[in-house]
Amino acid sequence: MLTIENLHARIGQREILKGLNLHVPAGEVHALMGPNGSGKSTLAQVLAGREDYEVTEGRIVYQGQDLLALAPEERARAGVFLAFQYPIEIPGVNNAYLLKAALNAQRQARGEPPVDAFEFMKLIKSKMELINVPKDFLNRSMNQGFSGGEKKRNEVLQMLLLEPRLAILDETDSGLDVDALKIVAQGVNSLRSPERSMLLVTHYERLLELIVPDRVHVLAGGRIVKSGPRELARELDEHGYDWIQAGGSA
Amino acid sequence: MSAALPLTAGVAIPGPEATRAARAGALADLAAAGWPTRRRERWRYTDLEPLAAAGFDLTPPPADAATMRSASNLLEDLDLGDAASRLGFVDGAHAAELGSSAAAGLEISDIEARWPEYAASFASALPAADYPLATLNTAFGRRGLWIRVPAGTDVASPVHLVMIGSARARVAAQPRIVIDVERDARVTFVQHFIECGAEAESWTNAVTQIKQAAGSRVELYRLQRHARGVAHTSVLAADLADGAELTAGYIDLGGRLVRNDVSIVLGGPGARTELFGLLLAGAGQHVDDHTIIRHAAGSTVSREVFRGIIGERGRGVFNGKVVVEHGCQRIDASQSNDNLLLGEHAEIDTKPELEIYADDVKCSHGSTVGELDPEQLFYLRARGLDPAGARRILTEAFAATVVERIADSGVRARALSAVRARLGALTEP
Repeated sequence: MLTIENLHARIGQREILKGLNLHVPAGEVHALMGPNGSGKSTLAQVLAGREDYEVTEGRIVYQGQDLLALAPEERARAGVFLAFQYPIEIPGVNNAYLLKAALNAQRQARGEPPVDAFEFMKLIKSKMELINVPKDFLNRSMNQGFSGGEKKRNEVLQMLLLEPRLAILDETDSGLDVDALKIVAQGVNSLRSPERSMLLVTHYERLLELIVPDRVHVLAGGRIVKSGPRELARELDEHGYDWIQAGGSA
Repeated sequence: MSAALPLTAGVAIPGPEATRAARAGALADLAAAGWPTRRRERWRYTDLEPLAAAGFDLTPPPADAATMRSASNLLEDLDLGDAASRLGFVDGAHAAELGSSAAAGLEISDIEARWPEYAASFASALPAADYPLATLNTAFGRRGLWIRVPAGTDVASPVHLVMIGSARARVAAQPRIVIDVERDARVTFVQHFIECGAEAESWTNAVTQIKQAAGSRVELYRLQRHARGVAHTSVLAADLADGAELTAGYIDLGGRLVRNDVSIVLGGPGARTELFGLLLAGAGQHVDDHTIIRHAAGSTVSREVFRGIIGERGRGVFNGKVVVEHGCQRIDASQSNDNLLLGEHAEIDTKPELEIYADDVKCSHGSTVGELDPEQLFYLRARGLDPAGARRILTEAFAATVVERIADSGVRARALSAVRARLGALTEP
């Protein structure tokens, strides 16, 4: 599904990713952990196509395609989805309007007919039930006046609607209370399938109790310094990151 | 002095005998005040000298039968509801055949037929030094309407005032509307400016005066969709008594040269106004909003929100002044002006002004000028929208936050679709 080789990326003069390698096979869920400033969010943004980051070396292959050659909207239409760490507020843009526009842009790219208002409402309501969001969600401006937890749930709602092939969740768990976290995890788990891969960027082991990953990677200093099975997250939770970094690693 | 005004030189004073002295007086006032030049602060950004030199016909002949037919067809296309809720004007003159002369709940008469009464209560409200264009309208405008909303009347559905231009070349249309709202009456007006003819160089110089008695509530929405060759100047003057409320919304989409003057006087305790506007200026368009809200009594409230969307080689101007007069306490006033520039050669001049002569006052104002937010653009692209579509959605959203202030849902939907259509043309590369 996704193969990253020797990725170097910088913003301005500051190099953040320094030779990152990562392979996420189809159908697997991988967790990406690591201390603040290690480059987790940078990787998420680079995968989504943020132009502020300059890739200076390396390559990213997604479903056999050169991902870096695609514009952000082309990546989205090819099935890449980033759930933003800080979802953007867009006053004046109706949430339902935007969700429908996004869905139809992707359907159009796949050569499918657009959904009409009736079909869309049916579809979105079924997704809303899954993660228990209030009915007025649709009629509000995009993320405007949403609480932190509501914004995160809105990201997950979009993901459920768009059914991506590769979902990157950038700290979707932060700012959620335990109940909200359970609901969100349930939504994410409902998307797990042999054709879909996920990359969970998180600080907290508690998310991985609910969405059990196939692999856990530790990112530090712009590179993956350790990878392991699900249990690695528990060790990190107990001992912190220092023992890995101290151990010389990779 | 009149030699300095080639526009009016040799033009015979029109209208019924009873109005002639006042018209001649207005003409003399205008000559004394002089035509606006950019040397005057209020006209610094908008040059009206070409208008004065362009040889407009200030007393055009009445529209012919063919024009009236196309005006009538246009009205049908606009689909404004039954005739009882609309008043039609062609080239500035009220045309009774285009609507009802007794719209539901309103009393409508010809200003010229009630001239002495008009002169006593309204004529002096707009001095030539400040409002030369209104003075020009007084001198030459014909067949203006006096709309009285009797005390306690609640006019349920919006009344459309449809100002249709024939776009005959060199015609100066000068509509005048006087709205006299009595105690506790409620009414909503929608003023449309639109052409029924082919594009031509014409000029609309409109005056609207509102007097609101205690406890009255008025909403006035203005949807300006002139053809691209048209110049538009307008003056709105409103005077509010105790507890009266006025909501005025300006949507300016068309025209080549547009200058709107708004003057609202909060003259009695508890009076309140909400004034908002959206201006769109594309290539070759110049749109200038000059507003003044005067808190002339204590415990008055004003809310002013204007937004501009300026396309490549378009130009916008906003000058909003809020005055709190001596000794007027417990004032609550806010004003904002936000502008979106869509091109490298888009230009906006914005100037909020506060003049405060009292101490128990809560006033805020601010203005911004910017481009579309790259974070928002990226977010939309990351959801699969192409850059042009993302820009269109964000620009529409910027406009929608103003249009959504229109309380009446039908009027709001009408305004939104007009704004969307115009934005489509503005944002296409």
